[in-house]
Amino acid sequence: MIAIAKLSRRSLVQAILALPAFALIRKLPAPAPDPDEIIEVNGWIVRRSDLA
Amino acid sequence: MIFDSYEAFRAAAFTPKVCIMGSGPAGITIARKLGAAGIPVVIFEAGSNEWTEESQDFYRGTTVGDPYFDLDVTRLRYLGGCSNHWAGWCRVLDAHDFTPKAWAPDTGWPIRRTDIEPYLKEVHDILDLVEFRPDAPISDDISWVQFIKSPAVRFAEKFYGDLDKSQNIAVVLNTYVRELVGDGKRVTGAHIWSNGADAGQFLADYYIPCTGGLENSRLLLWSNERSNGGVVPSATALGRYWMEHPQFEGGNAILADYDEFEVDRTNEVFFSPTPAAMERKQIMNFGIRLIEMPYPGVKRLIADLACVAPDTAEWAAYQLSLNLRCAAQLYVGWEQAPDFSNHVALSKTATDHTGVPRIELNWKKRDMERRTILEGLKLFGETMVAKNLGRVRLADWLVNGEDYPTDQELAGHHHMGGTRMSEDPAKGIVDGDCKVHGMDNLYVGGSSVFATSGQCNPTTTIVCLAARLGDHLSHKIV
Ligand SMILES: Cc1cc2nc3c(=O)[nH]c(=O)nc-3n(C[C@H](O)[C@H](O)[C@H](O)COP(=O)(O)OP(=O)(O)OC[C@H]3O[C@@H](n4cnc5c(N)ncnc54)[C@H](O)[C@@H]3O)c2cc1C
Repeated sequence: MIAIAKLSRRSLVQAILALPAFALIRKLPAPAPDPDEIIEVNGWIVRRSDLA
Repeated sequence: MIFDSYEAFRAAAFTPKVCIMGSGPAGITIARKLGAAGIPVVIFEAGSNEWTEESQDFYRGTTVGDPYFDLDVTRLRYLGGCSNHWAGWCRVLDAHDFTPKAWAPDTGWPIRRTDIEPYLKEVHDILDLVEFRPDAPISDDISWVQFIKSPAVRFAEKFYGDLDKSQNIAVVLNTYVRELVGDGKRVTGAHIWSNGADAGQFLADYYIPCTGGLENSRLLLWSNERSNGGVVPSATALGRYWMEHPQFEGGNAILADYDEFEVDRTNEVFFSPTPAAMERKQIMNFGIRLIEMPYPGVKRLIADLACVAPDTAEWAAYQLSLNLRCAAQLYVGWEQAPDFSNHVALSKTATDHTGVPRIELNWKKRDMERRTILEGLKLFGETMVAKNLGRVRLADWLVNGEDYPTDQELAGHHHMGGTRMSEDPAKGIVDGDCKVHGMDNLYVGGSSVFATSGQCNPTTTIVCLAARLGDHLSHKIV
């Protein structure tokens, strides 16, 4: 908090923009995959839960 | 009456009103309808009553584009035509095959399925068919459909006696109609080739080429060229929009219960898309044929599934150990979108021995078709998963976007289009009555009039259209 307070708003925005988008998204919890989703793996058309 | 030669026929002094060219399913069906209505009709048949190398030679030609069968092998030139070697698989085009599709240009017929349905009863008798079972949707996307594997009526055998006894029908063998002559309003004669020589012109009131789905185009292209446009006055689409039913092995399936569907006598089951699925995916019609898979193939398939879905593979292996049928090869045959550039042309260099140019067939499969087979199999696979009916594996060549395999059957030997049916003379050759646009007395029989091909084998629809044309003419000619 203190460190941030010392940064100018402009530097803060620059720092955020400099972060790869990935780094921000990575922090978000991944949504649980729908086990009923139908997907294609190696040519097989299967239900995601088949992969277990 | 059956005559062995044109000379014998002339000597009999029989004067037909209608001249049919070709004695395949289309020609014989039209002749029988007219004969039954008391209208004298002649069928000129280029071949004799058996296969000969000499007659087949007239059918030689070349193909430009995708690999196709030799043109003298994919059809038969003698009494009964290709019904002498057809497989007898029967189904009528679907109702939605007749309607235009916004996502596929030049689709739609000027008639609807209801226009040919009144003839189905007699077509059942002609083709020795049992009743069709209605299609059964198994999901919003896929229907379980039926092909009747009929006894494959050989038209020459089945109708020889009737034709021979008939007082109204003359069948004249060894008589090749090499050219029609026309003045832009009417056909005024047919040039006959008989006994290795020009036998002059034959005159009738009406003319109906029924020479097959390649030869109708050839005869009319050649006739029109010789008559300076006097046979097909609006010829933009002549020979054009030629179609086949390409077919390839597109994958495999492991089935929860092979007996879920009533398999036919050769253990096969067929599936097709619903109209809604075709529209949503913007694809053409297709047919997926499940064929029971030989044991070693099943084991390999289960091993492959084990890498992806071990539990499902274990279950399949258990089924197999119980000696249960659990796997199938998936063959896909599909509808080609009508394409102006797929066409029958006259060869510039090769002629048959009477001087008529041979066929140069220009034929290619297009992107829309690749999408149809891929999306179609995916739809089928998704239905199998969603309904817990099984699991589908797409063939490697499809998944990897490779070329079509060259070691498979290629297509169905179904020759369609070339003189297609359309209200617009720029897009077709015949109108809804199979009459050539602008001509008073020229009609066409056979699958060359198909505006689109649907996914099913053509002969049941050919015979329906022939019965309808026979009916139409028997009311017109009095
Ligand atoms: C191997 C194979 C299997 C098939 N299996 C099936 C199937 O299971 N189901 C299905 O629906 N369809 C099938 N077909 C297609 C079916 O055979 C044809 O759709 C059908 O025979 C077409 O009938 P048609 O009368 O229009 O033409 P054709 O049967 O080709 O008859 C044309 C006739 O015209 C004659 N002729 C040609 N040129 C001239 C001329 N200039 N003058 C006079 N006579 C001429 C020919 O000798 C021939 O007798 C198959 C075809 C093949 C090759």
